[in-house]
Amino acid sequence: MKTAAPPTRSSLKTDQLFVNLGPQHPSTHGVLRVGLTIEGEVIVKAEPDIGFLHRGVEKLAEIRTYAQEVVLSDRLDYCSAMTNNLAYCLAVERLIGAQAPPRADALRVIHCELNRIASHLILLGTYGIDIGAFTPFLHAFREREMVLDLFEMSSGARLTYNYIRIGGVMRDASADWAAKAREFLAYFKPRLDDYDELLSYNPIFLDRTKGVGVIPAKKAVSWGLSGPNLRASGVAYDVRKCEPHCGYEKYPFKIVLGHAGDCFDRYHCRVREMREAVKIISAALDGLPEGEVLAKVPKVLKPAPGEAYAHVEGSRGDLGVYVVSDGTASPYRLHVRAPSFVNLAILQELFVGQRIADAIAILGSLDIVLGEVDR
Amino acid sequence: MTGYFHSIWIATADILKGMRVTLVTMLKPAVTVQYPDEKLLPFEAFRGALAFDAETCIACGLCAKACPSECIALESLKNEAGKRVPKLDWYSVDFGKCNFCRLCEEACPTKPKSVRHSLDYELVFDDRGQMTRFWKKGFPAMGRVFDPQRKEFVDPEGHLRVQGGEA
Repeated sequence: MKTAAPPTRSSLKTDQLFVNLGPQHPSTHGVLRVGLTIEGEVIVKAEPDIGFLHRGVEKLAEIRTYAQEVVLSDRLDYCSAMTNNLAYCLAVERLIGAQAPPRADALRVIHCELNRIASHLILLGTYGIDIGAFTPFLHAFREREMVLDLFEMSSGARLTYNYIRIGGVMRDASADWAAKAREFLAYFKPRLDDYDELLSYNPIFLDRTKGVGVIPAKKAVSWGLSGPNLRASGVAYDVRKCEPHCGYEKYPFKIVLGHAGDCFDRYHCRVREMREAVKIISAALDGLPEGEVLAKVPKVLKPAPGEAYAHVEGSRGDLGVYVVSDGTASPYRLHVRAPSFVNLAILQELFVGQRIADAIAILGSLDIVLGEVDR
Repeated sequence: MTGYFHSIWIATADILKGMRVTLVTMLKPAVTVQYPDEKLLPFEAFRGALAFDAETCIACGLCAKACPSECIALESLKNEAGKRVPKLDWYSVDFGKCNFCRLCEEACPTKPKSVRHSLDYELVFDDRGQMTRFWKKGFPAMGRVFDPQRKEFVDPEGHLRVQGGEA
């Protein structure tokens, strides 16, 4: 009697399998589909498929007036709408040669940094969920609600602010508001240590993120990464330092750098960036100048034909807006350099050779917002 | 071997540290509210549903021009000669399109503002038809919707809830 030979590695037939990573539901906000080709547990090919949330904001801007376009810019990166407002307004201000008053500049910085905290808190919470830790999410959102309360008090909205306007800000922040912001900072500082204890130094979390999805500095630069994703690889590039806008040069803060460029560094860069944001906000609140908050700009803007580009350090990276005017009341062309869109591109190279369980950890650590990717 | 026990010790200690944060938070009062029973009042500047005052409106149409999504429509009254007069005939807002951006309120030249954001954050609709609200003189500040069955303008029942303060 002949017995079958035990299966060896070479005799086992290994088919490649195609797996869709998302979208979970067609009407969910911000969906991304990644077509993964896997061999066993290892990813051999990854194709990000974007466009589910495309609203044609850049095209829409061509039939909207300059003031109305601020409303559209809210909807790009909905987790940090303030920086979108700022990038767009700076570009238009450059186009018409306007300058925001000093108080407006300080208020812009405070609001953008508060928004950076709110945005990084979303990453902190949801990244924990991606890895399997639920508690940090509740802690992070508790603090985020307080930031949103501050925004509701100053701008009237909790997500789409339309607060930063061409030539300044929508309305002045009262002394009450400043006191409340200080109160929040005092409350928030010790919470950052809590996050570290809850998540950052949790051994399970460390095992899932340390050494996973490493992006060397050279690769990060060649893929055009920006923001915390780039700084985690050890490249000191921050628009707030390299090309200061709104008086960022006056405030004391450090560029937060990682060294390994792995998932943990990308995550922890953001946590440490929140500390820097707290420093900037307290300094800006202390030195808040008095005066006007909105410069005199005409109600109907008709800039002379020309073009302007402005970029700011958004929560997710280098956010740029390019406006071309043809002398009419609406821009001839508007282009947004969305950091998430550029950061997402590295996925196709980063996923290859990783295990499928690490795919989520890597995707989460890049912190992309699909509203900005698809525009 | 010692490395093995050491890593167990480190892992246990770190998880206990995390549990301490959870325990401390557990003893604090809850930050959430039981929504339908308890309601939070938004801040004064809150941009809720648009409210409109047909008495003060001068039908200048600046709000409709300022709106980024063209959700506002209005018609002014006409005199015998067929010329428009600065008085309002009807006004409508399509809340399906509204961005809640306050550009209309900022454009409004009257004092007090004819069109303004109320504090109402409980705007709900049963169908698309209800999303368009109409105002004429004598209509309440929150507007009315057309009921195709009764063929008349009715108060959208259950939708007229403005928390604290004027409608």
